[in-house]
Amino acid sequence: MAFRKIDIDALEEDAFGEEEIDFQEIGELRPVSDVESEVNTRAQEVRSLLQRGNFSEALTAALQNPPYGAPYHAAKARNTQTVMDAAYQVKVTDMTQVAKSLSPEEQDVLMKYLYAGMAAPEHYSSGHLLYWHEKLTEVAGQGCIVRVITDRRTV
Amino acid sequence: MSDAPIVNEFNQGPISCHAFNGDRTELAICFNTNVVSIFRKSGASWTQTSTLAEHDKPVTSVDWAPRSNRIVTCSQDRNAYVWTLDGATHQWKPTLVLLRINRAATFVRWSPEEDKFAVASGSRCISVCYFEEDNDWWVGKHIKKPIRSTVLSLDWHPNNVLLAAGCADMKARVFSAFIKGIDKKPAPSPWGEKLPFNTVCGEFSNGSGGWIHSVAFSPSGESLAFTGHDSTITVVSPGTGDVQSIRAPFLPYLSVIWLNESQIVAAGHDCAPHLFELKGQQWAFSASLDAAVKKADVGFTARDTFRRMDSRAQSATSTDTEVHTQHQNTINSIRPFSGTPGHVEQFSTSAIDGKLIIWNAHSISRGLGNLHL
Repeated sequence: MAFRKIDIDALEEDAFGEEEIDFQEIGELRPVSDVESEVNTRAQEVRSLLQRGNFSEALTAALQNPPYGAPYHAAKARNTQTVMDAAYQVKVTDMTQVAKSLSPEEQDVLMKYLYAGMAAPEHYSSGHLLYWHEKLTEVAGQGCIVRVITDRRTV
Repeated sequence: MSDAPIVNEFNQGPISCHAFNGDRTELAICFNTNVVSIFRKSGASWTQTSTLAEHDKPVTSVDWAPRSNRIVTCSQDRNAYVWTLDGATHQWKPTLVLLRINRAATFVRWSPEEDKFAVASGSRCISVCYFEEDNDWWVGKHIKKPIRSTVLSLDWHPNNVLLAAGCADMKARVFSAFIKGIDKKPAPSPWGEKLPFNTVCGEFSNGSGGWIHSVAFSPSGESLAFTGHDSTITVVSPGTGDVQSIRAPFLPYLSVIWLNESQIVAAGHDCAPHLFELKGQQWAFSASLDAAVKKADVGFTARDTFRRMDSRAQSATSTDTEVHTQHQNTINSIRPFSGTPGHVEQFSTSAIDGKLIIWNAHSISRGLGNLHL
């Protein structure tokens, strides 16, 4: 039960609403087609890296410049698929080392995708993601999880 | 002086805020109620001498002006009181301040010159209060724009004019709180040259969202540090244009202070003060100042251990629920205790566990080797 049942901002003309927060945190939105083509290019790049067996590099590439913002449903799903493809190729025993090779920003982005993956168990088996979650938390700490929760830029 | 932190247990409930007087012999503290208790140091312990009971909702913040010996309190009841000690009766006398806000007051701090104070509030403004001789009362002037949500913390620049504010709209800002007739024109600084009231001298984000819980100017006022609910700590220096955001691997920090120009201490949900240091040009996490020693598991026989395991259906005695730090719950306030602004020697922390701990900053460099997490 919510602590407060009355929406005290209902009569406030100038309330700080979701839309404004998203604009502040994400900024101007780009055309959907631009974002989608960028995501598709990245997907191909990651796939070719995976074919060559460069799993760590593929994961790093997959985590660059993720699509943020409400209109990009398709691009987000596609990019989650790209990150998951790379993440699933990393063996449990290599996870710690791969996680350490990521920058703090990339670690935070990876954590976002782990949660996104676990939110869609019909597409991604959670077992491997839970291993990833454990190993990444060992490396990046609880702060990494907190940042996934606070960040309005969701994936 | 011993290096061990001095732990003061009050056992009166969670501490929401605390402030010491100028010579650190008296303490104003609020146990999450509508009353502020005044304690006087007697030997190693603290004895309660009086209470400040005028608010009718929980007190959110208290500050004690060291030289003019006045206390200011603010509360969820949307009021602030300035308390002065009556010399004859030794009673604290309240004076109501006209804040003109319609939401809770959240934070209050005296300016360095003690001629103004600023009150942060949930009504998306900061009330900068000063004493009006003509009317014989404290009046407040509002800093409103461009604040979009509750202001959670404040810190005054040493020049008595600039004011930093941490806000629930995920921004830390620096404002001018220049009051005509009280302030002299401040010297130009990296924050700006012309500074009429409500000038926005800087607006900063921490990178990954989250409320800004605490702000602090460096002792010189050249830099600003702030902590967010995304477990980051950010240091900005407008003089050099440098902005550094450290993504800490720990839980979020609720309070931050500078020990000197190259050391910052932050504490919060991890229940321990953490030291951040400037090494070369780079800020980085250095150490936890709480050694977090595990208490030896004594007084249990093997039989007890097996019985406990049996009754809790555990395969081994779990230590997961034990907190090994001095504070047993979230630290919500750090304040300098001794030393000078550019060279803090001791600082105090108060927490939801009802403890107030005084830490020695000078033991840091000596004991770093075995303090690492």
